[in-house]
Amino acid sequence: MRTRAALGSLFGSIAVLVIGWQAGAAAAHNAGATTSTSSSSTSSGSSKTFTGTTAQTQFGPVQVKITVAGGKLTDVVAVQLTNDGGRSVQISNYAAPILRKEALAAQSASITTVGGATYTSDGYRTSLQSALDQAGLK
Amino acid sequence: MATQVENRVRHSATAAQRSRSPRPVDRAAHFRRRMRASDLLVSLAVTSAAGSVALYLAYGGAGQFGSIGAVITSIGIIAGLIGTDLLLVMLLLAARIPLLDRVFGHDSVMATHRSLGKPAIYLILGHAVLLTLGYGITAGLNPVAETVSLWSLPDMPLAFIGTGLLLAVVVTSLVAVRRRFRYEFWYAVHLLSYAAVLAALPHQLSVGGMLAQGTPERVYWIALYVVTLGAIVTFRFVEPVVKSLQHRITVAGVEQVAPGVASIHLSGRALRTLGSSGGQFFIWRFWTAKTWWHSHPISLSAVPTDTSARITVRALGDGSTRLGRLAPGIRVSIEGPYGLFTDAARTSPRLAIVAAGIGVTPVRALLEDSRLTPGETTILLRSSSDGEQYLWDEIRQLAGARGARLYTSVGPRAAGAGIAGARGAAWLSGADVGRDVTLRSVFPNLDRSDLYVCGPQAWADRVVADARASGIPAHQIHVERFDW
Repeated sequence: MRTRAALGSLFGSIAVLVIGWQAGAAAAHNAGATTSTSSSSTSSGSSKTFTGTTAQTQFGPVQVKITVAGGKLTDVVAVQLTNDGGRSVQISNYAAPILRKEALAAQSASITTVGGATYTSDGYRTSLQSALDQAGLK
Repeated sequence: MATQVENRVRHSATAAQRSRSPRPVDRAAHFRRRMRASDLLVSLAVTSAAGSVALYLAYGGAGQFGSIGAVITSIGIIAGLIGTDLLLVMLLLAARIPLLDRVFGHDSVMATHRSLGKPAIYLILGHAVLLTLGYGITAGLNPVAETVSLWSLPDMPLAFIGTGLLLAVVVTSLVAVRRRFRYEFWYAVHLLSYAAVLAALPHQLSVGGMLAQGTPERVYWIALYVVTLGAIVTFRFVEPVVKSLQHRITVAGVEQVAPGVASIHLSGRALRTLGSSGGQFFIWRFWTAKTWWHSHPISLSAVPTDTSARITVRALGDGSTRLGRLAPGIRVSIEGPYGLFTDAARTSPRLAIVAAGIGVTPVRALLEDSRLTPGETTILLRSSSDGEQYLWDEIRQLAGARGARLYTSVGPRAAGAGIAGARGAAWLSGADVGRDVTLRSVFPNLDRSDLYVCGPQAWADRVVADARASGIPAHQIHVERFDW
């Protein structure tokens, strides 16, 4: 290989690796900040909450807590989400709102898998179903 | 000197010659431009591999080395990313992109394509094995149980099938295995690589969390696939079909040049607009019931006119034997032109040509298509017998018209000449070697020459080795493999 091609390859590679590394460090920092807040839950007098079983996945446990009011599923909160490293935390962060929205729309655990978050989705379904069973819904 | 000096430099150039000769071509500048493009493309290719690792880092991969399971998983993911990137680069190299052909030449593009095959397959297999182990360790499962659990994930069966297809492609491409099959069988299996690459895509997008929906990583990755497959569809399928339909090439007639060697005359429309340079080849397909499934890479043996072209072929395989019996009127489809055995590859002020056997055909077209000043060119034709001097009369005429020196070396090579360390130029006839004819004595200006070599591969390799041994830099040597 010619010297210039070798140097071009070397520095080009270093540049993109550094960019990737920095982007990853920034993302991990943000991800850590948001998970800690997402575990807060709400409750009110007329509604009941049920906590689903913990589903073990390859990237950590998944557990959801549901709120039921008037026989309807009104909220789903993730108590635990796959958290095996920054990667899983990130997946969880983006998948959780989608899964929650789907669950509320479907009023059941028959929700589709979120692309890129297969394990999280599976665990979410399992835990959600057990919570729904406890609540006597579907 | 070699057996006979056919043409001394002629200074009585005709008016036509004078009009084509004076324009000075800055070959060095042209070469530098080509090398700049080459450096840029090589850097881009390597950087794309680093880019795939950067994707993982951007996903927080740098923090994924905490436990033994995580380390194995991370390495497995990185192997998959680089392996897939290499696969896409391989497909781009095989897409016959005109830019790559102009910069590197078809031969070296395909050589790079082949050389990436093994690393790519090792990385992909490593990816499968390491992730099975890594996930297994993290989840407390043995590799077999982990494989079963992976199999149940969406898109994973497809990914396993893709890996299997890839293995089949690589195994059938290994030289030893390939020899046992017909070229067409190997080619058909090779097409499976497209299926393999596509089969692997869904699991990357669904199971691979780092390419999750809505991320820039996913956009980049899909763009890589779109560009690669787009190039293949465009340059390997659409363009050849459109060209073939536009130019309506048919066989005009077959002329026996020598026993087993035939010139196929072709007619068509606007053939000059094919844009071929002398020395390039097309991949030809002759649409008869017995030959349509067989494609032949064959050089033009003359510069096309608007309505006619000519190729010259020696019967080697059973497919090319049938070519000598083609009837006029048969439709011909083409892919090409390809190759850098042309005037565009020149780097130096002088031209040295060595050709053997049927290898004279691109040389014939190259001579016809090049602007050459009298005395610029020296040609050496090699044959082991009088019967293998295909198109030599035409080369003599062209050499005369272009003011080129022409030498020939006829006769069997020296006994033991194939052995490494044998004395002298083992690629010349034994008689010439005995008379101390060497590459340097035939081409005294070799240092300032481009050396074009075309002939059977083993022979051409010896010529190149000789030239390299005598200190000629690689960029001044241009070889056309000619085994067909």
